[in-house]
Amino acid sequence: MTCRFIRLLPLACAIPATLAHADSGIGVDTWRGNKLDPTAGQANEPCDARGTTWLAPLQRRSPTGNLYNCAPESPLAHEIGEWLYYGVLQVGYIGTGDHDVASWNRYADWRNGDPVLGLLQVNFERPSDGSYAEVRASRISSDDQLYQAVFGRAGAYKVQAFVRDMPNILSTNAKPIWNGVGTNNLTVPVGLTPGASTPAQVAAASAAAPTTTLGVKRSKQGLSASTYLSPEWTAYVDLSEEERKGTRAYGGPFFFAFAFAGPPFFLNDGGVDETVKPINDSTININGGLRYAGAEWRFDFSYSGSFYRDKYTSYNYQSPFKLTALPAVPGAIAAPLYQGQMSMEPDNDYHNFRATATRKIPWNGEISLSASGGRMSQDDTLIAPINCQGVFGIGFGNLQLGPANPLLMDCSKWNTTDALSRKTADMRIDTSMVDARIVLNPTREWSLRGGVKYDRQDYRNVYLSYNPLTGQYGYPSENGAQGSIVPGELGLWDPKGAPSALTRVRSLPLDIQTIDANVGADWKFDQKNTLSANLDYNRYEPTNRERSQIDASRVKLTWVNRSLDWLTLRVNYTYLKQTGNTYDFDPYEHTFSSSLPGYIPPAGGTPSHTVDAMRKYDMSSRDENKIDVMATVMPRDDMTLSASVRGDWNSYDAQIGRQAYDTVGATLQWDWQLATQSSLGAYVAWDRSRLGMSNVQDKQGGSGVDPSLGGPNYALTGQWWTTDAQRDWYAGLTFNHNIGRARFDLNWNYLYSRGLTDYSYAGSSALAYPASVSDAGPGGGAFPNMVYRVNSITAGVTVPFTERVSLRLFEYYERGRISDWHYLGFDQGLVVGNRVYTDTGPQSYKQNLIGMLVNVKL
Amino acid sequence: MKTAAKRAHRLDRTASPRAIATLLLACAGANASAADFLDQRRVEPIQGDVAAGAAKAVVCVACHGPNGNAIVPTFPKLAGQRAEYLHSRLSEYKHADAKLPYYAASPMPVQAQALSEADMHNLAAYFAAQKPMPSPTAANTPPGETRGERLYREGDSARGIPPCQGCHGANAEGGPVAAGDQYLVYPALRGQHAPYLSARLSNYRAGWPYRASGDYIMAGVARTLDDESIQAVAAWLAALPPQEQH
Repeated sequence: MTCRFIRLLPLACAIPATLAHADSGIGVDTWRGNKLDPTAGQANEPCDARGTTWLAPLQRRSPTGNLYNCAPESPLAHEIGEWLYYGVLQVGYIGTGDHDVASWNRYADWRNGDPVLGLLQVNFERPSDGSYAEVRASRISSDDQLYQAVFGRAGAYKVQAFVRDMPNILSTNAKPIWNGVGTNNLTVPVGLTPGASTPAQVAAASAAAPTTTLGVKRSKQGLSASTYLSPEWTAYVDLSEEERKGTRAYGGPFFFAFAFAGPPFFLNDGGVDETVKPINDSTININGGLRYAGAEWRFDFSYSGSFYRDKYTSYNYQSPFKLTALPAVPGAIAAPLYQGQMSMEPDNDYHNFRATATRKIPWNGEISLSASGGRMSQDDTLIAPINCQGVFGIGFGNLQLGPANPLLMDCSKWNTTDALSRKTADMRIDTSMVDARIVLNPTREWSLRGGVKYDRQDYRNVYLSYNPLTGQYGYPSENGAQGSIVPGELGLWDPKGAPSALTRVRSLPLDIQTIDANVGADWKFDQKNTLSANLDYNRYEPTNRERSQIDASRVKLTWVNRSLDWLTLRVNYTYLKQTGNTYDFDPYEHTFSSSLPGYIPPAGGTPSHTVDAMRKYDMSSRDENKIDVMATVMPRDDMTLSASVRGDWNSYDAQIGRQAYDTVGATLQWDWQLATQSSLGAYVAWDRSRLGMSNVQDKQGGSGVDPSLGGPNYALTGQWWTTDAQRDWYAGLTFNHNIGRARFDLNWNYLYSRGLTDYSYAGSSALAYPASVSDAGPGGGAFPNMVYRVNSITAGVTVPFTERVSLRLFEYYERGRISDWHYLGFDQGLVVGNRVYTDTGPQSYKQNLIGMLVNVKL
Repeated sequence: MKTAAKRAHRLDRTASPRAIATLLLACAGANASAADFLDQRRVEPIQGDVAAGAAKAVVCVACHGPNGNAIVPTFPKLAGQRAEYLHSRLSEYKHADAKLPYYAASPMPVQAQALSEADMHNLAAYFAAQKPMPSPTAANTPPGETRGERLYREGDSARGIPPCQGCHGANAEGGPVAAGDQYLVYPALRGQHAPYLSARLSNYRAGWPYRASGDYIMAGVARTLDDESIQAVAAWLAALPPQEQH
């Protein structure tokens, strides 16, 4: 039985399955489309002037005044016995040019000249009892397709199943040097020697490497069913499974390749490898439950589960570069390391049970109480701390293990799972939640609400990084490379050999308890005006963080005005103040070797972990002011003009850390629906955000003890500031028009996004390379602009030949201009010193897509 | 599959080919819609001259009985009926295509042709103001809850039958106006002749008429009813004492 056949089984099962009853409102991934059919079959339907329902007057506008899209015309149905059926088949060809551009193919697998199934949709309905069935399919390629089947009976039961493949192309111009891309074992090609190749040799191998596409294909299948057990009780279950297969560019550290020299800066001590990570995993999601909806009471009992499994626990890669010990250390010889490893995401399980009871109460109100309990756990097999052979670290004069070389470690004592304090992760987080809410509508003018929510996450285990084979604590850093370049920086604490080494030895549990309380009221003080006020109070109580208590209070005021028939005005203002108890800038001491018995501080004292003025943005005190003004103008019955402006200003109480984050924006949109014959729309939007932060360079090379800002280690001359400014423009135009029986459509969209990072510093000591500037005083500059600009236009015409057969011709043109300084220079080669890169980055492009699709109403 | 059994339908609106043709015209555009499609979803209250209506009703009473209390049970009683409903029906007849089967079998299109808009307002106001009389079949109704009452009040979810009271009121006195103006044209049913009600439901089930938006609602409902259900609902409604409230 092929995998494809197995995947289609849910579809096959959906057809003959018989359930007594079900509900029609629950499903798995209820909206499925692709780039050829992004609206899931809803686009380009003729309008039905009669509206959507016989039961209520035509509603052209939403309560806020926006025009609704026109209702699509009812399909032309045939009769087979008691059943009616209708459908559409859309098939044709697409033509496109060079498709090797990742941005163009990000979520669509366009293939030149291949036949495509735009849409196949067949619906069956039996009016006598409300039974229905639907089959829908769309296929651009074997990597970009979807199929679904649904059947049920209105008010009784519903069963649906689907299969969907979706590509996610990440790079079409990657040049990985390794053999074994896509597997969990990457080896350097013939011509390169692991751990002993020169940058020139690696550059030659990179230039000769074939261009490869990196991407991930998501294949998802699901089955869901729901049934009415009685008019009040509903049971439902949703199952889905998603597989991801493919590759993506990833890291590969062998310590800095440039840090300890300069100028020149590229001495090539270590190695930086942009490797290729294999993606081969699956996630199963399960949701199920029972619901009761009675006249007074409603209940909901549900279970949610998620199960992630990865084919690989880790992947190995060879580094071609030779490691070199710091030349400043006489006689130091780096271990010839060449083998690295990356851990994959661990297999994990998630369970959550939830119960909700809601009851109607006097004053046209409702009160509800929810409680849930869950567990997230992972117990995956742990990998060995390192996968080297021989030795790692530094030898003096030779690489012989022994007392003469105390900074040299035996790989065989670390490249085995016997070097772990336990063999599996055995980690767990338990969650619990209680939520109570009340809503009262005592009069037509007043609506009152309130709620209290308690939420908690408990970490049930920690991992102590201890090697029983050596009696050492910690984890060899950078695949052993750091300690092979810098004497002693092995990442290990040894109560005998290195009792003063400062390194992480313990995982960090981040338990948190949250209490939310809120009250609010709406007051419709006349027919034209409504005022609303909401007051929220949140208390966060995290453990092992800089604060054990954070209090956030927020007041939100809203005014809605409809004094004029042609205008709806909405204004929101929110003020938030976040404070907390005493800020401990270094709460992580217990995770370091300095917390272990036997630790001996260095002669100058234990180095500080960070500066005392640091305020992390989620723990920092903060004031926020936010305002939104939205106006919907209706100059004519068939026309809407919408405008909005918004601003959000955040001020953080931080001398070091995030200091401000402000956003402002505006939109303008115009819609015109000329009966059912034509529609015209245009929009333009602009927004700007600024994120400001500051940090300080330590002057004592990581050995400074004094954490105070302005002290000898964190001198004010080492402080620097940076501002990330993002500016975006969006614009678009939509036009549809019927001329006779032909329908023309035109869409244009424009996106311009620019990011600019500038920086300033108090003195050159703030820089990684102070000698790179001549002036030791203040300075600054900016990185080049990051620009992402996309223009796309679609023009199409649909010509009906008969009532059932029509032809759609369309042209889609897209031009993307991308400027990303991270990738500058890669056109000259992907190897820079002891660094080898794989992905050449996003490319500017111009692409045309021409499509011809025949529509047949079945 | 028999080819002859296949017919084209606009979904949710099972109808005869003639009705479909009408419907397609209604879909053709806003202007055509105004001419061929009676939209009852937004209704204004009717005002009329009762005395003028009484003068004009001389012809009507031949079929619909003195003061609109029809004697012949195949003709509807008009007394006490909602004026908006009566006006809507007259308007429907006035603009109907008399060649369509439903209208061809009725004298009303011809009668309505001669009426002006003011006449229709006055006639509607007049009959709405008359006192409805009990139906002779009322005495034959067995005591206690009947199948007809259950269908009216609860419907039958297993067969997709919605409860009638949702639109025609808890006591069959007509649609709950507070829920929306469109309910003004949802007629009172209590005390109406059972044969007339049965005939209307049977016609709806057959796809007749298709002229007004309300017809589409009732066609969908009637498709779920078998003969026995139609008889049961009609009998129960006819047995209810009429209510003077319009």
